[in-house]
Amino acid sequence: MKKLKKNLGGKSSGQLLIVAALSIAVLISSTTIYVYEVSRETNSIKNNSISDFVLAVKQSTRNAMISSLVNASNGGERTVLTDNLNSFSQALRSLYQFGTCQLNFTVLNDVGYDSGMRFSWNDSGLGISSAYADFTLKIYGVTSNTVVNYAVNVTTTLTVNGFYTIVENEEKLVNLTCKIYNEGEPALAKNMTVFYENLGSWVPVNSSNNLSITDYHNGTYNISFTVNTSSSSVQVSVHAYDSRSVLVQTNTTCNEA
Amino acid sequence: MKKENKGQIRIIEAFLAVLIIFSSLVISANLTLTQSRPNNQLKRIGLRTLMKLDSDGSLGKYIDEGNWTALRDALNLALPAGTSFNLTVYDEEMRQVNTVVISNGGFGGREVSYVEYVCASQGSVFHCYVIHLYLAVVS
Repeated sequence: MKKLKKNLGGKSSGQLLIVAALSIAVLISSTTIYVYEVSRETNSIKNNSISDFVLAVKQSTRNAMISSLVNASNGGERTVLTDNLNSFSQALRSLYQFGTCQLNFTVLNDVGYDSGMRFSWNDSGLGISSAYADFTLKIYGVTSNTVVNYAVNVTTTLTVNGFYTIVENEEKLVNLTCKIYNEGEPALAKNMTVFYENLGSWVPVNSSNNLSITDYHNGTYNISFTVNTSSSSVQVSVHAYDSRSVLVQTNTTCNEA
Repeated sequence: MKKENKGQIRIIEAFLAVLIIFSSLVISANLTLTQSRPNNQLKRIGLRTLMKLDSDGSLGKYIDEGNWTALRDALNLALPAGTSFNLTVYDEEMRQVNTVVISNGGFGGREVSYVEYVCASQGSVFHCYVIHLYLAVVS
């Protein structure tokens, strides 16, 4: 002990021990805080980047679904959805930024859907063109794996209702109100074509019928035109393309107001 | 050296040691942060820019039509000022699609960030593209 005191320099030895202990304590705590902060920041950046990547994949999946619905609604095969999603899934495998990507999907075959597609184009005044599929995205990273389940529903809906008033003899003025929705939200139409039934055949409505379309820019369209028919009711068919080029159509019966 | 000065010198030595260790920590911390932050931010900006262009199907439409000038102009507008980019489009078999260079200038030896993106076109005929976007902050 005497030797130790001598070595430490007598009176100063206690102060030196306290300072050294404090320094070591500060050093240990600051190192711990630093390591914690750096690891937290790295994890946060990594998580944010992966969330952005997942969002990007979801958006591209939606685009693939829209493309399939455009194709099938315009006369293509319903199986186009499965084919396109297989191509998309294959393309995803060539991405390696966050690890190996694998996208599995199941198209809906229930509640009116066949091969993930539903086309309800009937006489009720309600037309539906829809595509639906469930997805599982797996990202096998170097340090961790990520699994995300999601569903994509692309639906264009058209509602049509109307009435007519008699102008003169057999000439009738038909007024229609059409509304278009994308995934339940009001949407704009790219193009609309109207037909009416006369003597068992569908006749396109054009300028000779004094066709007038009012666009309210909120997904609602008022269409008026004149027809010459002896029938007490006017059967009308509306074919509409939404801004994504998805075709939807429906028929309705207009009676006298 | 006098006997009574020995304690003071040891304290100074201890302080110096602590100072050296702290300064090394501070320097290494700065080095780590300056390397990781801008790189990751630029990646996020790049990915979000491509997502924004793809949200209404414009990105796929430009590629389908081979409208590389419009694509370059759209990227120029969407990316922050002072960002240099170079974009390459590949098809599903990883064959290059773009016939011209889609860029707004060189990187000049600056640190480059890299973004991968899969673009699915909304058109009636389905196409899938793999996009490689290189970014650097020029000013």
